[in-house]
Amino acid sequence: MLIELKDVTKRYGEGELAVIALEEIELLVAEGEFVVVLGPSGSGKTTLLNIIGALDTASSGLVRVNEVDITGASRTELFDFRAGTVSFIFQAFNLFPGLTTRENVLFGIDAARSDADPDEVLDSVGLGTKGDRFPHELSGGEQQRVGIARALATGNPILLCDEPTGELDFTTGVQILELLQAQAGNGRAVLVVTHNREISRMADRVVELSSGRIIRDGPPAGGKAPVTDLHW
Amino acid sequence: MRMLRLLLVWSWRDLRRHWAKVLAIALVIAIGTGGYAGLTSTAEWRRISYDLNYTQLAMYDLRIDLATGSFVEEGDLAALIPAIPSADSVTGIEERLIVPTQLDASTADEIVLVRGEITGSDFSEGGPHVNSYFAHTGRVLTPEDAGQPRVMVERSFAGFYELPDTGTVRISGGRTLEFVAQATTPEYFAVAPEGEMFMTEATFGALFTTLETAQDLAGMPGAINNLVLTLAGGADRDALQAELTSALDALPVGGTVLTRDDNLSYTSLTTDIDQDQAMFNALAFLLVAGAVGAAFNLIHRLAEQQRREIGIGMALGIRPWVLAFRPLLVSAQIAVLGVVLGIGVGTAIGNAMAGIFDEFIPLPVWQTDFQYGVFARVAVIGLVAPFVASAIPVWRAVRVRPIEAIRPDLTGRGSMTGRRRTLGNSFAVIPFRNLRRTPRRTALTVAGIAAALTVLVGFLGIMDSVFDAVDTAEAESVGKQPARITVGFDGFRPIGSAEVAAVEEAESVAEAEPRLILGGSVAGEDGVDIDIFIEVVDLRFGMWRPTVTAGSLDGPPGIVLSEKAAADLSLSVGATVTVRHPQRTGLASVVFVESDLAVVATHPHPVRSLAYMDLSQAALFNLAGAANGMNVIPEPGMTLANVQTELFALEQVASVQSVTAVTEAVRDAFNELLGIVQMMVLVVLLLALLIAFNTASINLEARAREHATMFAFGVKVRTALRMAITESFVIGILATGLGLAGGFAMVWWMTQILLTETLPDFALQALISAGTLVAVVIMGVVVVTLAPILTVRRMRRMDLPGTLRLVE
Repeated sequence: MLIELKDVTKRYGEGELAVIALEEIELLVAEGEFVVVLGPSGSGKTTLLNIIGALDTASSGLVRVNEVDITGASRTELFDFRAGTVSFIFQAFNLFPGLTTRENVLFGIDAARSDADPDEVLDSVGLGTKGDRFPHELSGGEQQRVGIARALATGNPILLCDEPTGELDFTTGVQILELLQAQAGNGRAVLVVTHNREISRMADRVVELSSGRIIRDGPPAGGKAPVTDLHW
Repeated sequence: MRMLRLLLVWSWRDLRRHWAKVLAIALVIAIGTGGYAGLTSTAEWRRISYDLNYTQLAMYDLRIDLATGSFVEEGDLAALIPAIPSADSVTGIEERLIVPTQLDASTADEIVLVRGEITGSDFSEGGPHVNSYFAHTGRVLTPEDAGQPRVMVERSFAGFYELPDTGTVRISGGRTLEFVAQATTPEYFAVAPEGEMFMTEATFGALFTTLETAQDLAGMPGAINNLVLTLAGGADRDALQAELTSALDALPVGGTVLTRDDNLSYTSLTTDIDQDQAMFNALAFLLVAGAVGAAFNLIHRLAEQQRREIGIGMALGIRPWVLAFRPLLVSAQIAVLGVVLGIGVGTAIGNAMAGIFDEFIPLPVWQTDFQYGVFARVAVIGLVAPFVASAIPVWRAVRVRPIEAIRPDLTGRGSMTGRRRTLGNSFAVIPFRNLRRTPRRTALTVAGIAAALTVLVGFLGIMDSVFDAVDTAEAESVGKQPARITVGFDGFRPIGSAEVAAVEEAESVAEAEPRLILGGSVAGEDGVDIDIFIEVVDLRFGMWRPTVTAGSLDGPPGIVLSEKAAADLSLSVGATVTVRHPQRTGLASVVFVESDLAVVATHPHPVRSLAYMDLSQAALFNLAGAANGMNVIPEPGMTLANVQTELFALEQVASVQSVTAVTEAVRDAFNELLGIVQMMVLVVLLLALLIAFNTASINLEARAREHATMFAFGVKVRTALRMAITESFVIGILATGLGLAGGFAMVWWMTQILLTETLPDFALQALISAGTLVAVVIMGVVVVTLAPILTVRRMRRMDLPGTLRLVE
């Protein structure tokens, strides 16, 4: 298993003011899986993503990712873990405005010390001709493609996507989802966090959260639908 | 009302969150405005202090000097006053006896033998009433000291040689005198004795005593040769001068009536005020410009960080003035705190400068009160700049559609449209791209640090230039004879006479050759007239001759001028100049005549007035075969002290000093000024540190999301820090380059424009020493580069999920 969470709880604050963001989470994700984590705002889905990506730590429980127990890892080990295991794709893209498209992809390569070819990666997301553009010269969809390219360039086995279509129109969003689904096909584990139930229809698995607990974990209701069938 | 309360609470929270930055930016303003007030107040302090001290010690308005060697009976000069038409305007008179002497103030550690002067005044009935005395140590003489071998030694001389508070000195004739005080009087606030060339506290020692003691020491009971007068306010000084000049005709001896403005000590001090102030003003302007500019930039960036919140406010329909309230309140906090702290900084600088001034101008009282008027002028800038700095980004934010204000500003304002070639490692590219992306911000940051560095280079560079000139002067005076000693006679002596032979045959002297020192002037074609001291020595075969920078000393005779004199007169070697010089007409009488002389060479000594002629031309002065001084070289193993001890025993010898005595004194005087420079260097260092720290801190906040993204991708804190350091390094390099260029321009302006007008007799080259370069590079590059290290704790403690989830 690429991702293994056992009895994971995340609590913010102490005593009466304590807020439980995640409670007794059990989750296993294998390579090649396209998993959609679904839930309303405040359900804990982004917290779950942050814990898997070592941006945040669990209050209790076991978090093992790519066979590394990150529960008790040191700061340095967490940096190394992020560089070599997980790659984030953000809702707001979080591209470096001072870098060109190619250089943003190069950043992913440099961060993970991978040997990917930035132009090939850009080609793979359909931006082969736009490597010299700066982020502000691209559309929102193109910027997110750069974000995906940057994540792919790391060569890391896990893609963690936090509302990747949240800032995009429907058509562009669908294109991005197709791209991400294709990465699962390439053997990566892809976790997409969203509140958009329609997106969950294209997942291999849907993990639904409510008030910090998993209330459902399984294939989409009504079976897996092709991306072209999605509507929102 | 509720909105106002909300904004105040919000602003209070802003202040608690940003208190370190608010304090640091306020300190930047305080240093600029306080430093400006401190530096630009010096003229005011000095004028107030000089006036106060000249008044308290009753500096004379007019002074009667009898011709050298002439004396009258006590009361004769005072008796002239009632007879003049404006006698009612005279408020105080004091008869004095002033006689030259040789002063031996040697201590156990050091031989101190210098030319000196004894001034005797009447201390009875609370006197002297004109040109009275202030004792820095010990006590002022009293009527009981009259006729006793007691004196007060002049404070600057005593300070220079670190004499004890009280003790003994010896004078010509081997008399030992007890000095009961280190004292000063208005004529000695700066040591510049009348009629002496380059005399300073290092080479001239004055003793103040009672009239009776002075008469006793001079062996002239009842004699006086000097009268000083004070006048009532509004009196016509020139008319009184004329009346007294006429009255002098009634005396059997000649004399001159001089005003306070003819006193070299007085004029040098009062002229110095404007010279120094012009320099301080320029540096103060740069200091305040750098500080306010930096504060403007930092506040501007703080306000820019609220752009998104302003956009949200606009989207909610809040009025622009309400949106502007928060950032403007931060500005108000910074402005008020900056101005309050500025008073403290200005007062601290004032106190520090008072201590420094007191060291090299030992006035009885220094008044360096904080100059609120001066501060108020610059405080206005310190108050307004923060508001403008906030208002601009707020104004820009409220002019656009809310969504544009909310959206992150990725465009870089068109600055990223240039070269797009991938530069290799992305970590290496980011710092440079960040700088290019925000050129205005980069330029303002660079300009702020550069202005601080310009001030630093200006201060250090002017000292470098002065010390370089002093070094040049010393090297030129020493030449190939570092042991050379100059001996001054008390008048002209025939070469071959017993008096001259006594020097030549002194046991401590190996070689001796005669010299003449004469005052004169040289006129250029366009009416420029320069006072000169002509040293007449053996230019061909003498033990010392000046370095020649153009022309030759081996050709036909003529005059050798300093390079600066030649330049100021627009002359070159080969030109003919009209020299006005003395010509002896009798045993003790001279007339001034004009002679046309060829400029045969130029020399590099920075003192413009030094000119040289060959001894073979002494006939021009009707002084062939005469000398009023000698150059001597001591026997091997003999020191300056040995020569001084032996030659001072000779009656005709008035001075014996090393050729470097004057330059040492000049160097010492400038070393005192170094105190001011060092203080300002500390101020500028603090300013640069604050700017660098604030810039790094605000950069960290502005780039929080980028850093969070980096950390999400596993980039380590040290790598992100390295990028920040690289960015700061580039800023440091640019600022240092600009600061050095600006500083050098400043030094050039001060040495080549400002000081040529206010200090025309001294040639200064604009120079920045290696030490200054190292200091500036350390401050501008090293300190600025390493400033981001101060933010590493905040980087480490960054809330990654929170920063990354920022919805935009």
